Amino acid sequence: MLKPFDMTAGTLIAAAIASGDVYQAAAVYELAHGVERERLDEILFGNRRNALMLARWEHTPAAVLQALASLWGQAVRQRVEKHLRTSAKTLLKLYEEESDSNLLVLIAQHRHTPAPVLESMAAGSEQEAVLKAVASNPAATVETLRNLHARFPIRFHASLATHPLAPADILEWLYARGNEYVQAAVVAHGHCPEHLFAEAALSGSSLIVRHLAGNSRLPIKLQVKLASSADISVRRSMANNPNLRPELLFVLAKDESIDIRRAIAGRRDLPSAVLESMVEDEDHWVRQHIARHPAMPKTYLGKLAQDVNPEVRRAVARNPECPAELLEQLATDKHEWVRSGVAYHPHAGAQLMNVLANDVSVDVLSGVASNPQTPQLILRCLAQADDENIRRGVILNPQASIRILRQLLEDPYYLHRVLLMSNSVLRDEDKWPLHEDPDPAVRFATMRWFTEKILTMRRV
Amino acid sequence: MKIMVAVKQVAALDEDFEFRDDELDVDEDFLLYDLNEWDDFSLEEAMKIKEASASPVEVVVVSVGPDRVDESLRKCLAKGADRAIRVWDDAMEGSDSITVGRILAAVARKESPDMIFAGVQSSDQANASTGISTAAYLDWPHAAVVAGLDYAPGADQAVVTRELEAGALQQVEVACPSVLTIQLGINKPRYASLRGIKQAAAIPIEELSLGDLGLTGDDVGAGAALSRVRRMYVPTKGRASMIEGTPAEQAARIIEIINEFKGV
Repeated sequence: MLKPFDMTAGTLIAAAIASGDVYQAAAVYELAHGVERERLDEILFGNRRNALMLARWEHTPAAVLQALASLWGQAVRQRVEKHLRTSAKTLLKLYEEESDSNLLVLIAQHRHTPAPVLESMAAGSEQEAVLKAVASNPAATVETLRNLHARFPIRFHASLATHPLAPADILEWLYARGNEYVQAAVVAHGHCPEHLFAEAALSGSSLIVRHLAGNSRLPIKLQVKLASSADISVRRSMANNPNLRPELLFVLAKDESIDIRRAIAGRRDLPSAVLESMVEDEDHWVRQHIARHPAMPKTYLGKLAQDVNPEVRRAVARNPECPAELLEQLATDKHEWVRSGVAYHPHAGAQLMNVLANDVSVDVLSGVASNPQTPQLILRCLAQADDENIRRGVILNPQASIRILRQLLEDPYYLHRVLLMSNSVLRDEDKWPLHEDPDPAVRFATMRWFTEKILTMRRV
Repeated sequence: MKIMVAVKQVAALDEDFEFRDDELDVDEDFLLYDLNEWDDFSLEEAMKIKEASASPVEVVVVSVGPDRVDESLRKCLAKGADRAIRVWDDAMEGSDSITVGRILAAVARKESPDMIFAGVQSSDQANASTGISTAAYLDWPHAAVVAGLDYAPGADQAVVTRELEAGALQQVEVACPSVLTIQLGINKPRYASLRGIKQAAAIPIEELSLGDLGLTGDDVGAGAALSRVRRMYVPTKGRASMIEGTPAEQAARIIEIINEFKGV
């Protein structure tokens, strides 16, 4: 067995080659060069079946995808062109060699496709699907969008109107000529020319006005006007406006529509006065949202802690500022979902965890397992729970001791073993044996952990 | 007491694949293999009976297929099955679900189990007939889509709860031995422990041939199958279409379509 302290790129690659395992080989691929790289190529790409699997597998590293791009034909190439991890460099090479129009669409819509490729497509392609994909690709530059618009002024309205980089002049052009949906998208856009706001507010279209109401650049005068609109959908949109004026929060917090009050209640920027005004709201979703708000005054939290609805009481338990006495009270709630909220609270002390550890509910015990305040003795018991949710709570507990975590390296659920690879408490010598785990995802995660450690050291 | 659990290694497809040149199946390079999801539940049901019984219960998993099926059988061994049997002969290629039922029945005559469990269906072929055809060849009682089981090892009858449509359940008495096809959700399948996986790697898998079962090439394969695949294909585009436009436009069109279907 290799000593982890001797873990160099060479020894890591040698272990992967000796194993003949596709997953270990994929994990260390980018460390290898020359003869070692050739040996790994034989393991990884020796048959089409493996190539197809790797080109599809969500964890395949970019370096492996780059090698796959020129192997085994169209079926593999198609998967590489769709893969989220395929790098810009690989996509550029694929574009230079790709002749299949269906596959060009995949390149056009990929988030990593380099800007020059998208520019080239916008300037030269005649294929509708390719051009549409370019118009919708967030990686497309303003220049690319301008070229597209200049070539095809009326074809890609919807895509351009919703593209985050669409410039003001194009948006103005689209507003003047587009249908109601395009106009709505324009007035909601972050680059929408301001002079269009007033025009849109008078459009008479509910669709356009409610999209306008959501624009964070909406001037105060229009905010006030739209907050009192007779149209519920407009007021609702206003309630979700990120830059809603504080005085309008009060107004909308008292709106007759439950939907609007719920939207207000869910905001993070509520002052305590607004929160207080909503404590008696008839809708439990409203009360639930505000109960969890960190600015909720404690006296009102106490009132909400006695709410008839358990979701509201749980929200109090999940409030980061919930005082200790309320947590104690809620720890004895008849509803397990409420008790579970207490179990997850980072400020619920060890004493409370001792009490909750005797609970029978999986939700409560999962919370206890993940709580940093839970004593190690309890964590040790929970690490042996039959229910995997409880054991996972221990794995995710930042205070779980190395002794407990070592036991969990034998957990039957493979994802738990994968999770442990990224745990900072376990040592390299604890993790290393899992490079021979029966599960391929665990083997990959182990080798990848060591590979990335080496890559990080090289970058420093 | 012995419970025989028929399991299948099923093939899963990605969204892009190619057919074989003969157009009878998908090119094998595009297939990913795993244990049939229903069989996790039927094995778990057998294990529950085994672990709750005061007298010994042997759980034997059986599968029909080539070498690669061993991987799925080892998963079953890792979860606690006592023995694993794989049946294969190249002559079995092309067997349909009814023919596989004949093969499993032959295994059952050899093993003399007290109960046979199978999954309701397989996730790849979805014929939902292998378990029942096994019962037919054995002339055994059977119950399908079993969502609950009340059975004491060695008893001459079991009470099963069958899942019907619209959430209805049916309670049925079944004389034993019988074949039960087990439904998803009847229990919570266990994960194999690491120790179990390592131990399973060393357990030999019994391989049975046609001759071992008293069958001949005429009894199995495409020639004996009661159905035959003529062609496998992806139909030309049907009613699916992309909904274009801004998100609001797409949402409005979806509402229109829903209302059309509702007749509003």
